[in-house]
Amino acid sequence: MNPLLSVRELTVRFGTEDGPVLATDRVSFDVATRELVALVGESGCGKSVTAMALTGLLPRNATVTGRAGFDGRDLLARSERALRAIRGRDIAYVFQEPMTSLNPVLTVGRQVGEVLRRHQRMRGAALRRRATELLELVGIPLPARRLREYPHQLSGGMRQRVMIAMAVACAPKLLVADEPTTALDVTVQAGILDVLRTLRTEIGTAVLLITHDLGVVADLADRVVVMYAGRVIEEADVDDLFARPGHPYTRGLLDAVPNPARHAEGGLREIPGRVPVLASSPDSCTFAERCGRVDGTCRTRAPQLAAGPAGHPVRCWHPLAAPAPAAAGGPA
Amino acid sequence: MDVLPRTPVGAAPASRLRALKRVLRNPLSAAGLVVVLVMLVAAAAAPVLAPYPPTLTDFDATLQPPSAAHWFGTDELGRDQLSRVLHGLRVSVTVGVLSVVLSLLVGVPLGLLAGFYRLLDPVISRLTDTLLAFPFLVIAVGLAAILGPSLTTATVALGIGGVPLIIRVARSETLRLRELDFVAAAVADGAGDLALLRRHILPNAVNALLVQATVSVPMAIIGEAILSFLGLGVRPPTPSLGIMIASAQPLFRDGPWLAVIPGVAIVVLTLALNLFGDGLRDAFDPRDSGR
Repeated sequence: MNPLLSVRELTVRFGTEDGPVLATDRVSFDVATRELVALVGESGCGKSVTAMALTGLLPRNATVTGRAGFDGRDLLARSERALRAIRGRDIAYVFQEPMTSLNPVLTVGRQVGEVLRRHQRMRGAALRRRATELLELVGIPLPARRLREYPHQLSGGMRQRVMIAMAVACAPKLLVADEPTTALDVTVQAGILDVLRTLRTEIGTAVLLITHDLGVVADLADRVVVMYAGRVIEEADVDDLFARPGHPYTRGLLDAVPNPARHAEGGLREIPGRVPVLASSPDSCTFAERCGRVDGTCRTRAPQLAAGPAGHPVRCWHPLAAPAPAAAGGPA
Repeated sequence: MDVLPRTPVGAAPASRLRALKRVLRNPLSAAGLVVVLVMLVAAAAAPVLAPYPPTLTDFDATLQPPSAAHWFGTDELGRDQLSRVLHGLRVSVTVGVLSVVLSLLVGVPLGLLAGFYRLLDPVISRLTDTLLAFPFLVIAVGLAAILGPSLTTATVALGIGGVPLIIRVARSETLRLRELDFVAAAVADGAGDLALLRRHILPNAVNALLVQATVSVPMAIIGEAILSFLGLGVRPPTPSLGIMIASAQPLFRDGPWLAVIPGVAIVVLTLALNLFGDGLRDAFDPRDSGR
């Protein structure tokens, strides 16, 4: 069966005043119908850019190459007009900032209704009924009352629920959730994650979850795509990735997750250094400068994504072998 | 479960009411609003309030100083000055408001387009600069020459004169708003340009435009007085504050009240409008919302 979304060799370059910047470098991954794929990596690794590129949401100074098959057609080859019809209807987005992502001068009902009106040509009582249903679906109490309220009367968590309600209003085939819980309190986060889980069963939408929070990933995802400096460096089913990470970077990410059990041995382990900003695709491993397993090969030849010791694709010359015990592994 | 309201990102219509309350807490702008309202009512009710018809001459009572029969005195043709001021106010306010409405009708769409479409921006902005480079009186004289002096001419000339300011406000608001998250979110929901401009950018630009409009109205009122004074606007015998001052000029020694009273009326009205406009601007300013 064909996957719902099939991204191939997606490369995004930005023209900036300081010269070109390579944001993503031949990124490829699939999302199957109803699947929840997490796109993981630290800030600036190209996760959001990848998601925005799918429906042409990047600013003008971006050049996008590659393919993104969706529903049998290449999104990247489609006109702005066609993409406009796809956005919000077939592919919907939820962004990080619930506090500022709603229009302050329109009621919640108007904003939820606008999506339904635009894509489903719904009007009047049917529209109100559907909007109420949607708020109910995302767990907003007193939905009929909330519809008449303005965004500033709602809390951050409630606003994010409204954003999700708008995103799923047309039962999209793919929901892109770009750090949907990052700006929220932990307790509120749990509620939002519950909503995402519910939606998958109720609407049957596939989710591309962009996050740097591995706790969220472990909780929700079916499959994980790890990105680093614009490249996909590892891809695996969620259990597989957590049990047998192949890339030293993935290992480092896992070690950087707060874990009370490890606190005894000296607390969090961080990955030294920062993500490089690249002008072009280098002939080396982009992680070389921060890696504990680096050698000459890493600095002169770029590794390819290939099946690692654990069986799933890893982009590393020296992938980690066995399921390392939590205490011993990691870049020494 | 109830949630605490947080500080709004922009001003919602509900907060427009709150802004008005804040205007009223500032004594100067509250006074401005009261004076404006009183003068607006007086202007609207001029036909009822005026003790005499504004063009009724009485050659037995010319150039009378203020008295019980004629509170504001009479002019050289014995016309009641109070009645003429009330009717003149009506003309001034009408021209002032209509010309600003005209400025808004022309300026807002152009400003939105200039702010939204990078390609149109230089074209519209240079046209704006060109228009600003002409003193509006030159435009008004030109228009009066083409159309002939009349109330309509004055309104159109003042309206065109006010367009550049409106374009600037609408353009800068659009530039600011189009970068905000909720506009990006609307794009991601599949909103087209028209929907973005109409439902997301324009409603959020209303506050700034409202403030500009309250400042533009007194400018237009003074402009009308100038045009009428120069004979390019309203023609006698229609009373307009500008005309009254103009025709009182040669009589200043015999009847100073003839020029002073309409002059004071203009000053009071425009000052009150400006005070109210200032208060409104402060009330909408998120930086000192005093919440």
